[in-house]
Amino acid sequence: MSRPFPYTYISCPCADTPVPDPARKRRSRESPQKPPPERDTEANEGQDDAKQSADKDDEEDEDEEQTFDPRSPRSNFSLYPPEQLLYCEDCHQIKCPRCITEEIVSWYCPNCLFETPSSMVRSDGGRCGRNCFNCPVCTAPLAVSTIENVTGNASGQGPWVLSCGYCLWTTLDIGIKFDKPTNIRSQLQKMTDSTTGPAFDARSRQGSRAFGDLKSPLSNFASIDEQANPSERDTEQSTSKEDQTPTPHLGAEARFAALKNFYRTQISETSNSPSDPLSSEFGFSSPGALNRLMSLYASSSRLSGLYGGTKKTKSKPPVMREALTASEGLRIASGDADSALVERIASPDCGWDGVASLSQRTEQSPDVRFVDELLPLPVLLRTKRAKRCKSCKHILVKPETKPQSTRFRIRLIALSYIPLPTLRPLAQSSATSISGLAPAPDLNALSPLRPYHVLLTLKNHMFDPVRITLATPSVTPGIVATKVTVLCPQFEIGANSDVWDEALQNATAPLSDRITGMRGGEKVPEAGKVWEKGRNWTTVVLEVVPGTLPGSQAEDGQAGNTDIAATFQKDEDVLEIPVFVHMEWDAEAQLEQQNVGKASKPDDLVARELAYWMVLGVGRIQAAL
Amino acid sequence: MSAPSNLRHTQTARPTSPHTPQQPSRSGNTSFASTTSPGSTFRNEDDAIIFELGARWLRAGFEGSGTPFCVVGFGPEESRRVGDYRGWIQGAAGNGPLPKPVNAEDWARDYELWQPDLRKVDLGLLEDKIERLFRETYNQYLLTDAGSSRLVLTLPSLMPHPLLSSLLSTLFSRWRFPSITLLPSATMSATAAGLRSALVVDIGWAETTATGLYEYREITTKRSTRAMKSTHQELGRLLSRLVSGENHETEAKDDGISVGFAYCEEILTRFAWCKPRTNDGEQAEVPAHTVLIPSPTNPAQGFVDVPFSRLAEPVETVLLATGTPESELDDEEKSIPLLVYNTLLALPPDARGTCMSRILFVGGGARIPGLRQRILQEVSFLIEQHGWSAIRGKAVERQRQRMEDLRISSRTNGQKPKPTSENGDTPAEDEKIDPSQEVPEIDFVEQKLRRQNKDIPVPVQGVLREVESLGAWAGASLVTSLKLRGMVEIEREKFLQHGLAGATRDSEPPVPDRRSGLRAGDRSSWTLAGWA
Repeated sequence: MSRPFPYTYISCPCADTPVPDPARKRRSRESPQKPPPERDTEANEGQDDAKQSADKDDEEDEDEEQTFDPRSPRSNFSLYPPEQLLYCEDCHQIKCPRCITEEIVSWYCPNCLFETPSSMVRSDGGRCGRNCFNCPVCTAPLAVSTIENVTGNASGQGPWVLSCGYCLWTTLDIGIKFDKPTNIRSQLQKMTDSTTGPAFDARSRQGSRAFGDLKSPLSNFASIDEQANPSERDTEQSTSKEDQTPTPHLGAEARFAALKNFYRTQISETSNSPSDPLSSEFGFSSPGALNRLMSLYASSSRLSGLYGGTKKTKSKPPVMREALTASEGLRIASGDADSALVERIASPDCGWDGVASLSQRTEQSPDVRFVDELLPLPVLLRTKRAKRCKSCKHILVKPETKPQSTRFRIRLIALSYIPLPTLRPLAQSSATSISGLAPAPDLNALSPLRPYHVLLTLKNHMFDPVRITLATPSVTPGIVATKVTVLCPQFEIGANSDVWDEALQNATAPLSDRITGMRGGEKVPEAGKVWEKGRNWTTVVLEVVPGTLPGSQAEDGQAGNTDIAATFQKDEDVLEIPVFVHMEWDAEAQLEQQNVGKASKPDDLVARELAYWMVLGVGRIQAAL
Repeated sequence: MSAPSNLRHTQTARPTSPHTPQQPSRSGNTSFASTTSPGSTFRNEDDAIIFELGARWLRAGFEGSGTPFCVVGFGPEESRRVGDYRGWIQGAAGNGPLPKPVNAEDWARDYELWQPDLRKVDLGLLEDKIERLFRETYNQYLLTDAGSSRLVLTLPSLMPHPLLSSLLSTLFSRWRFPSITLLPSATMSATAAGLRSALVVDIGWAETTATGLYEYREITTKRSTRAMKSTHQELGRLLSRLVSGENHETEAKDDGISVGFAYCEEILTRFAWCKPRTNDGEQAEVPAHTVLIPSPTNPAQGFVDVPFSRLAEPVETVLLATGTPESELDDEEKSIPLLVYNTLLALPPDARGTCMSRILFVGGGARIPGLRQRILQEVSFLIEQHGWSAIRGKAVERQRQRMEDLRISSRTNGQKPKPTSENGDTPAEDEKIDPSQEVPEIDFVEQKLRRQNKDIPVPVQGVLREVESLGAWAGASLVTSLKLRGMVEIEREKFLQHGLAGATRDSEPPVPDRRSGLRAGDRSSWTLAGWA
């Protein structure tokens, strides 16, 4: 149940092909004691290997013919509303988001609709780099306004703040004001920088990366460079130490940068030693160092053998050490912080609303705990993505690059290939024959054990007529056994010809349609007969007898129904009918598939077929009889 | 999770110690290496994407950044059908009270990606969930094409093989990842704290693990089922009791939970705390004040007053097993302080000394204020009580008493330095008197070493100390950005041929294989190392 009743879902056929696990075959051969989970209920312990694999195969065969169960938890992942599916013209198959690959065409901010160049996406953290922010408390978009506006008297000048129009949160709550109304993101970044520590923003991170790149791969072998580098780094480190000593608690990003710097230094200090044994300090050579040396020598002179360098390892390389000071990223936990936290949480002026909620916290940096530590969130960017078929790589969807444009260059949606199913209840003429207009049954409360008629209309969008075969299990799977009968399982839908063609050819046809539509109330559903038929659509009747809910049986005083009640899942009372649709049509052979010789005959036809499961959500069954 | 022994003692979990100069050897070798796989050396130009995957949360982001781009949880909202907007219409499930009490296991099941007990896990469903999770993470947060760049997964070093296989085959068959590197989360947490050896206590969802790391190698791991899942369940029961009234508090133990999971989690993340340790005699000063929490029966509207001290109860009873004598605890449900102590005890003395002053707390439970401090207090109390000896019990106590008497009498009588050993226990007894207060022996080698590297500070050792880690994700990001190669690097083609079974069974692969950074090495075989 997800949408208002009645609704239809289509199951992508890719659900039938499980993820190929290359090891599964071997695994089952190697370790027969690990049966797949669904087989646990069966008592088959005493079976030998061969038999097990044999009946496993049987079971797989059975699986293929099993009816689709819309209630199984897995079906949630394969069912899609018909309008969300795509169709690959080369594979002739429905494609769901699971069987396509996506390529990003452009990035844009959904708030300001500015396109972000791909080079900036990473450095901006995948978020808008301008003025678009979301409220950290309620996620509504924040507006840039002056303080005067917020406090009441408008002058249009002065410091600026971000304010939420929904929950009235402003950046003043966290003590942040902006000097100018533009480029808020970088202003904010500067402010949080100074509070949380150095090396926070993207620029300095890039700086450190550039620094790392300086150390070109080749120069590592040249010892002169290496001699120079550590000293440089030492001075840098000492300066950074001076910088950082006043700030005992670095933010997460700053600590990370410190750690990264530390590891870089360590790696370069420990790696230059083999070329320069004199500078080596004493240390225990860890196995890692040993291996590294061996690999160095082994790679430079392979002929000397794998252990050619063992002689040289006597010159002990310096070991990497662990981080020792705060400037190297070490942070010793203090117990006082925690008890202060507890006191603050318990204090009456904090309360429930003072502590950040789980959803607020997940969006923020990991250390945040209280509401007044929340920072405004830059809006997440969105992408326009081209989609390709996963198996044949043909493009299925290609949008225009511009964020403002909603057009697509290519878009192969499934509905132009498969018939659109719509469902509608048939007014119960027999029950309420007194009044001329029979009321449609209330789909949110279907009474059990009472026959309903549902009209299923399939509308064809292809330019070829389609032959349809419907099949459905006579009793729906699940605890609530509902009987379903398709009164006319085989029928044909006309081609989606030009509307004007039809109108010109037989002008009376729509009229007669309308007449039959008017007479619908009087008509009686008959087995084997199509209910209604139009230019490119056909309606058939499904007879549905909802089963009884297990809860209602409890009134009879049956024993043991608590078990049923326990397993009774949440949406069990929703009546969903799995229907297998098999469609056949004669399509014009596409050019690339024709032989060269046959190309002269443009009207030769290829029979095509497509089969899939769809799920019809009819309604919710009432508990009481 | 039944047979941890063969997994634990392989010692090779984190192969690439950061000694390795990755860039030089790689570039120095391209001329030779290009014959094997030319593309592979250039592949690293794209920044790798790092995922940390647990039973409840997923963290994802790019290498080199300090915090993940996103943290994504799993819940029933994530496994709805496409186009099912009930979560938005009615408010997310699990906030309100439940119509009828639910068994504690079922209550939490929808919110976890997997359970350690794989008999109940539908692997197909798990694959579906993983696929959707990764796809949406890429599309919503990472904003890059899935499959184009290397993938690094940070996983607990003990993953059931079916799970690992499902995970890898889903990722490989769904997208075109050139390779997937696995990094053990415990070691990564240590790296993110700047340490090489540590005791990593991961208070996770289904279980708490304490991993002793020495020089980046996992030496020993002990685990306990006292973790956040049972804490959630306990808090759920507590809140259910609030709903039904306090009267049948004792019998309500086995009843189901009648409050929503999300509601319960919200309270846990906001208000759960842990009392500091009180000595046996004195009464704990209970903070008398109450806090307002949303009413369990109607969270949207009403608030109820709850004594703040009650919100510490679930943590106390579940994680610390207060009120349950140690003898009652089964092997797999030791309290966390005991778990930490036992893990330290299982370490060799040298490693123990190093690890005990480098204790890291990671995982969801580490965020409960006061808990870490409390665990350390309990552990130091255990050390005080028992020393580093696994021998307990009355008989031992009596024996020790006797030895003590003997020693005192022998001292007073004959001024002998040591009683002649009548049985084997004596040396141990000596050691046990009080090792911390004895004057340490002067070790000449040690002194010489110290003299030789005066500039290198002496590492802290032998005292209980807690170090804060940035978390496993940050560690993996750090390691990957330093261009260190993981030992377990699974290449697409190789995996697609044989799956997990294609990994060499060698837990300790030959030495040439381990010079990481070299593609030219024998990479035709790959290993699962610690995961094997």
